[in-house]
Amino acid sequence: MNFQVKNILGAMVLIGLNTNALADELPDRQQALPSVQKQAEHLYLQSAALADIPAGEFGDKVRLGYQLFVNTQQLRDKHVGNELNCVNCHLNAGNKANASPLWGAYFAYPAYRKKNDKVNSFEERLQGCFTYSMNGKAPESGSKELVALSAYSYWLGMSGLMLQHNVAGPVPELSDSELVKGAKRDDFILPEAISSKMDQNALAQLPGRGYPAVPKAEQAYSPERGAKVYQAHCQSCHGDDGQGQMIAGIAALPPLWGPQSYNWGAGMHRVGTAADFIYENMPLGKSVQLTPQQAWDVSSYINSQERPQDPRFKGQVTDTQKQYHQHDGYYGKTISGQVLGSDSSANFPKK
Amino acid sequence: MNKTIIAATFVSSVLSIQVSASVPDVSPKELQQTVPAAAQICVSCHGAQGQGLEGAGPKLAGLSSAYMAAQVKLFQSGNRQNPLMQPMAMMLQGDNIKIAADYFASQPVVEVGLHYRGDKVVIENPAEKLAYQGDWSRDLPACFSCHGPSAVGAELFPRLAGQQASYLKIQLEAWQKGTRKGDADNMMANVANKLTAVEIDQLAQYFASLK
Ligand code: HEC
Ligand code: HEC
Ligand code: HEC
Ligand code: HEC
Repeated sequence: MNFQVKNILGAMVLIGLNTNALADELPDRQQALPSVQKQAEHLYLQSAALADIPAGEFGDKVRLGYQLFVNTQQLRDKHVGNELNCVNCHLNAGNKANASPLWGAYFAYPAYRKKNDKVNSFEERLQGCFTYSMNGKAPESGSKELVALSAYSYWLGMSGLMLQHNVAGPVPELSDSELVKGAKRDDFILPEAISSKMDQNALAQLPGRGYPAVPKAEQAYSPERGAKVYQAHCQSCHGDDGQGQMIAGIAALPPLWGPQSYNWGAGMHRVGTAADFIYENMPLGKSVQLTPQQAWDVSSYINSQERPQDPRFKGQVTDTQKQYHQHDGYYGKTISGQVLGSDSSANFPKK
Repeated sequence: MNKTIIAATFVSSVLSIQVSASVPDVSPKELQQTVPAAAQICVSCHGAQGQGLEGAGPKLAGLSSAYMAAQVKLFQSGNRQNPLMQPMAMMLQGDNIKIAADYFASQPVVEVGLHYRGDKVVIENPAEKLAYQGDWSRDLPACFSCHGPSAVGAELFPRLAGQQASYLKIQLEAWQKGTRKGDADNMMANVANKLTAVEIDQLAQYFASLK
């Protein structure tokens, strides 16, 4: 096999990675992703089948990553503080285009993030979803869990690229320390058949990455109209109280607000991000297609309900709001006489 | 209306034979004591404990009262069509719907081993694969998402585990033919319509085998 080492700008990126970590400040790793234009189906990466994950130690890490991703509740009380699983928002086990697929993410890190003013490795991005989306306590850098989730993401992306570019043979194995970095670095080795066709920027913006932007709606979004959309098209699965449906002890249909859902720091609490996700992916299996207006309205409805506190909260809602909530969210706003964030449930509560 | 009554009498007289034949350990007198009046007519097809009688009526034990009450209403409104069950549903009115549904919902079911998404990475059985992973190339979500671990169900998401294979198959076909309707936003119709005839057979066998 022909490998080519890429060598532009890498040193800078890696230095930033090592020196800029702020030990006790919780940075914002939940910034809006650049929304990639929606593409025709055939352009999306198609990963190899799970049955093709190789036997052996590397394959075992990939398999564990898959299992943690679809059943994150096995980490409840250790790293997870709500009823959610990663797969609830990254559909089809992180494989679905336009549902923020892992194969789209892996080649986009390490990445500089303006809001925490540092370069985030892939594992740091994973930690972000543990802290906020899972309302938990993220596994440590280099931990078995982050290595496994990184290995799974890498395997999905690399097997997909190899299939797309007719590269034969097994997905090249990486060490744990390489796996958790992500692939947007100059010392990342790609088969030549791929690197000759796609540069780092193309790989970081694979079609289908993230949630595509929902078209603008005619009217400003409204939680009141959203409540009606919710009753008509969401309630049957997510419950009239937004708490989803427990089946045999697990939230098969996940909660959208309240103590068991994502917290006030999670990407999904932003009206725009959730509207993007909903427009593209909900109702599940798309038995109806919402209009953009309905998606915006229902997003504002579910995101103007109480949920677990923003983990960066230091005692004053107004302070947290000023520092971290200058965007399209309801944190710190008054809804039916109640300041959202003032009565939030705990971060990382025990079950 | 006349037709309904005739059908109902016909059916109940035919099936009263079955009561004595299939449930020998429960005498008619005992039935009267344990089964509420509203539900007595049902046992001829669904069994005294709602365990179901192959060929006559599906298993009701394991379904929630809310789901069963909703289904009775769907038979009444013609959204579900069945020559045996529709006349029965017409006879059940008012509070009796809930009384009968509560009774069958409280009947015991065999416990099944619970299997969760991710327990297996590679799944050979095609029905089990659809149940746990779906097929997103057709926008087909996993049955697990709505029917839960081992499809034991809850509330308005019915249990499929241990249900009769023939019944499960007829239901999936009924959605495809348009003779079963009334599920919220066609959510189950949307799933059933994407299944092939072979998959329906495999899925029906698979869920029936979970006992
Ligand atoms: C409540 C929904 C939700 C859950 C649950 C969730 N995420 Fe996310 N995740 C998001 C959103 C939303 C984004 C995009 C963030 C943005 O646009 O601000 C994201 C982004 C990501 C990214 C970066 C994607 C990219 O293209 O850059 C990764 C990787 C990721 N999540 C992994 C995980 C993992 C691993 C878990 C489970 C531990 C998880 N997520 C759980 C909502 C969720
Ligand atoms: C047919 C059932 C169904 C309907 C209807 C439905 N959802 Fe969902 N939704 C799901 C399931 C199941 C998941 C998790 C997907 C998975 O794990 O594969 C989910 C996930 C979500 C999530 C991310 C996870 C979380 O808990 O935050 C959001 C947000 C969401 N749905 C919003 C909506 C909205 C808004 C509507 C109405 C427009 C809606 N859903 C309608 C079944 C449904
Ligand atoms: C003559 C036989 C017969 C009698 C008596 C009968 N049923 Fe049924 N029932 C059926 C059949 C057959 C079906 C399946 C119909 C179909 O295929 O759609 C059914 C289906 C049902 C269902 C739907 C189950 C599901 O899983 O969706 C419910 C609920 C039900 N019956 C309740 C009752 C109640 C309550 C009574 C008594 C008032 C009753 N049935 C009496 C034959 C009968
Ligand atoms: C989006 C949620 C959802 C998914 C995914 C789903 N179901 Fe269902 N299913 C339902 C609901 C809701 C009902 C009850 C419909 C009603 O109220 O009439 C149902 C009913 C059924 C029934 C009828 C049961 C009875 O007792 O009458 C069968 C059979 C069934 N589903 C099979 C499947 C299979 C097989 C799959 C996977 C291929 C699947 N379902 C996936 C929501 C779902």
